[in-house]
Amino acid sequence: MLTPYLAFARKSFLGRSAYRFNHFMGILNTIVQIFIFWEIYQALYHGRGEIDGVTMSMVTTNFVLSICLGAVFTVDDFYLPYRIGNGSIATELLLPVSFKGRMLADNLGNAVFQLVFHFIPALFVAAVVVGIDTPYSFPMFVLFIFSALLGYGVLWSISFAVQMSSFWLINVWSIVTIKNVFVNVLSGSMIPLWFMPDWMDSIMRFLPFSSIYFTPVQIYLGELSYREIGEKCMIQIIWIFLIYLLGNFLWERGKKKLVVQGG
Amino acid sequence: MKSDTLNLAAVYTKIIIKSWFQYKVDAVLRSLAVFLREATGILVIYFTLLKFDSLNGWDMYELFFLFSLLFVTYGILIIFFTGLRDFGNTVRTGNFDRYILRPRGLLFQIIFSDADWFAAIGQGGLGIVLFVISAGKVEVVWNITTILYYTFAILGGVLIQGAIFLILATLNIYLIETMSIKELFYFNGKKFAGYPISIFHKAVQFCMVYIVPFAFVNYFPAQYLLQKEDMAYPRVYLYLTPVVGIGMYVMAYVFWRYSIKYYKSSGN
Repeated sequence: MLTPYLAFARKSFLGRSAYRFNHFMGILNTIVQIFIFWEIYQALYHGRGEIDGVTMSMVTTNFVLSICLGAVFTVDDFYLPYRIGNGSIATELLLPVSFKGRMLADNLGNAVFQLVFHFIPALFVAAVVVGIDTPYSFPMFVLFIFSALLGYGVLWSISFAVQMSSFWLINVWSIVTIKNVFVNVLSGSMIPLWFMPDWMDSIMRFLPFSSIYFTPVQIYLGELSYREIGEKCMIQIIWIFLIYLLGNFLWERGKKKLVVQGG
Repeated sequence: MKSDTLNLAAVYTKIIIKSWFQYKVDAVLRSLAVFLREATGILVIYFTLLKFDSLNGWDMYELFFLFSLLFVTYGILIIFFTGLRDFGNTVRTGNFDRYILRPRGLLFQIIFSDADWFAAIGQGGLGIVLFVISAGKVEVVWNITTILYYTFAILGGVLIQGAIFLILATLNIYLIETMSIKELFYFNGKKFAGYPISIFHKAVQFCMVYIVPFAFVNYFPAQYLLQKEDMAYPRVYLYLTPVVGIGMYVMAYVFWRYSIKYYKSSGN
């Protein structure tokens, strides 16, 4: 039942290993990014021990984890648009496998590759260069992994829903780019969400973005009680469910009106 | 001959504008997307500085002013140098061979045959917005001297980045794939070039002053106008932006002229 999807995932895993130089540059990029953010916050903290109860090492851990996780959470936003654009969607829909399943499998294969060959080396170097807090406790570490998986789910379903717009629009680039602005600013990978002003906090409660990186990071740092972890993970699951439903609704509508030009 | 060249440039420009703005809604959306994408860093600074008042002595408006120099110069730059930014593609697809066959200068054709108007509007627009927000709030006395200084600093900043583009484009003659080099040296640098360089590690500062001299695009000009206390370089650097711009551009041009003799087509 799962075999074809595993094969797809494996194929995309292996496909990644073809571009060694670019991959190496990617790791370097991740490390440079972490280092620069670390320096900016060094200057902002200016030797102060903590700000609003947030220490420099918590900020560092937030950047290291969310930027490294960001390297794993690479969803191809143009998976569907590309296939609609060149018409290959028509043949793909005829295959006896689910297109959505195939899309997820391809993305996951890529994510596993990034986890092994990008996340781990980048995390290691970052831990040596800027340092990182150890997990609060072993159970929290396990819950962090669980919550990070859900975070990937949230990001994936957002990308899935946004890609569906390609049934109606020729140019999805603008919408994908604007989506990424929201993800970058509001997920905590460029500004630790502790420092968001109160009015932004109340807006963000109604948005899915903080579920992507910030919830796992908070669990890792032991900031949440078991009760709160239960709540936050439940929120992650609800977001995945809601956004996926929206995307799926658009998928069903879009499939019906799909017209492929030429061959 | 002179007017003939100008005429050709005008015709090119007209065609480019027509083709970029063929789909109006799409053009607006794309420009908006570029604007917002570049504004990401600005939003991050805005939220951060709401909490932390200042970054190494620079307040929010001073940082916006610093960033505005970067975006304004890029907005002007990309009108002229899009062809160099995408030169790798021109070489890979073999289109460069067509340029060689035409009876006009190569660099002339590359510069005038394309212009990324969405980047120009998106990034240049953001630069202007930031300038308008910050110019009145920072302590700059706008008089003839400062306005002249500002104008020359912008021109110098455009030339510096233009020279970097030209050097990176020239590398395409030797190497087929230069995207990751470009990413590492230019676009990655640009992401952080908006911050005052004094907060960075000495090695990073060295890169930004002497290797990919973004510091002359925005940090030193802003220092001249704002007179902040974190200035750790000779004061003469404050006046060098146009010199560095012209010097780098001449060097890049010589490198280009020298390398072009070794061009081998990738196509068949």
